[in-house]
Amino acid sequence: MTANAELHKARDGQGLRGFSNLFGKESRAWWGTHRWWVNGLLWTGVLCGLTAIMLFLPNEEVFAASAAEVALAGGETAYTLWIGLNIFFEFGVSLLAIGTVVLSQDLIIGERHSGVAEWLLSKPVRRHAYIWAKVTANALPVLLLLVGLPSIVTYGIASLRLGMPFPVRPFLSGVGIMALNTWFYLSLTLMLGTLFNSRGPILGVALASILGGGLLGGFIEPLFWTTPWMLPKVAWLTATGQTISAEMRLSALVATTVWSAAFILVALMQFEKTEY
Amino acid sequence: MKQLDAFVIETDNLSKSFEEVHALRAVNLRVPRNSIFGFLGPNGAGKTTLMKLLLGLARPTSGSGTIFGLDIVTESVAIRERIGYLAQQPRFIEQLTARENLVFTAKFFFSGPPAKIRARCDEMLELVGLSDKADRPIKGFSGGEKQRLGIALAQVNYPDLLILDEPASALDPLGRQAVLDVMARLRKHTTVFYSTHILDDVQRVSDTVAILNRGQLVAGGPIEQILRGTEGVVYSVGVKGRSDGLGTRLARLPWITQAMVAQRNGTSVWQVSVSDEKTAERELLRQVLADPSLTVVEFNRKRYDLEEVFMNIVRGDGHDG
Repeated sequence: MTANAELHKARDGQGLRGFSNLFGKESRAWWGTHRWWVNGLLWTGVLCGLTAIMLFLPNEEVFAASAAEVALAGGETAYTLWIGLNIFFEFGVSLLAIGTVVLSQDLIIGERHSGVAEWLLSKPVRRHAYIWAKVTANALPVLLLLVGLPSIVTYGIASLRLGMPFPVRPFLSGVGIMALNTWFYLSLTLMLGTLFNSRGPILGVALASILGGGLLGGFIEPLFWTTPWMLPKVAWLTATGQTISAEMRLSALVATTVWSAAFILVALMQFEKTEY
Repeated sequence: MKQLDAFVIETDNLSKSFEEVHALRAVNLRVPRNSIFGFLGPNGAGKTTLMKLLLGLARPTSGSGTIFGLDIVTESVAIRERIGYLAQQPRFIEQLTARENLVFTAKFFFSGPPAKIRARCDEMLELVGLSDKADRPIKGFSGGEKQRLGIALAQVNYPDLLILDEPASALDPLGRQAVLDVMARLRKHTTVFYSTHILDDVQRVSDTVAILNRGQLVAGGPIEQILRGTEGVVYSVGVKGRSDGLGTRLARLPWITQAMVAQRNGTSVWQVSVSDEKTAERELLRQVLADPSLTVVEFNRKRYDLEEVFMNIVRGDGHDG
């Protein structure tokens, strides 16, 4: 019989009691199962595959482009890269947002419905620790596998098409914007998981933002300055070194960062109040 | 020091409402240290709600409560450090094996050394008789095995208090017996506070009982006291022969509070309620035998079973309301 005195007490600070164990559990759900390689393969395959098709196969858009457009890009190869990277960044940012919502919509309500959350919270666990474990342990694989891995492969493909290394700084900036947008939808989905009891509203709100946001911003332009809805275009323009209003870019980035932080804050507050 | 108090759980007018529904109404509960405390009530009486309040899973609408002298609202994490909880339908991480679930749970309390944590988990598996299934995924477990694993998970930190919500209600008789055996084995280590509506289980393992009905605590105390019923000490006397005068004679005795007769198969069965148990033990039979025309065919102190007491209390409470 092992007495309690022979065991070392859990080390988490009182403010985040239970975090490391919950973080381990969330991480195991990714890295301890086939989930990590399935997602890594899927998103890399889809995004890089589409980008490669645009870069290496004869492209209608390039044939149809005017001489002025090609000249503006800096030549046919550069124009082809614009078109290819448009798929990766502009289409990819939205696609990854959808992927993030689908992957994370069940993280909180799934455990609330199944009773697992109640069981976990009957242990010496702070509710803040529960939310932070969800956020951090899921952000890591989502950003690495959905954003990081396809970006590395795409950089290689773009460099191959260019015949020399693609400029790193603009490309990394575009990837950073893509990551920020993905982080926004992860935090939004987690927050919605604390506010609603069913998957419908979570998917509805998040997908409406992804698919309808750009349309709404077209009617009410200030929305582009205060939401992430402009980020797909901003990511593409930034990565390909095209001109973009610095104010608009900064405003959209700051707004998205603030929104994401606010979502996490609301999730923490709401989860603290939730009763089981 | 508060830890040395006689009561592990104390509540003071603890209440919980969900909009217009009063799930708990001013509950004052005292759970003695090292008792097996059976918390009884019909479905919907508020048993699970009370447990959730104690665990910090819900907040009281009014009133207060302490466990080990710690406040259930503001010091909930410190309380949960020292308790184990089994929900009515225990949940686990289904992808993990029984042993992995135990290690995962143990890590909420302990950070190492790994070998000792593993030894503790093995000991828990042994306690609930699941050592041979330790490395099987939970998905294939029967209801009884899941319930026993739930108890092992609740006990993995050697809690000072074990809270079990209907631990045996969904099990077949064998599974129920296994769970009750485990509870009985834990008696010497911890205080067990468990809810149930299976009265037979309570009578088998509990030493203290409380009855909750429609959100109110309607009875409570040591099980012997509860089994005495609400009518005090009652003797049952069966006599043959004309017993018309017996009632008048008994009514004159100051230690007899009530005497009622019913006919059963040619026998008059008297239910005699007494106020002085000692005198009754000594004198009652003599008083009856004083009439030579009567033959006493049975004489015993009336024993209630818990079901009878429970039904009386719950029905009586229902009529009052």
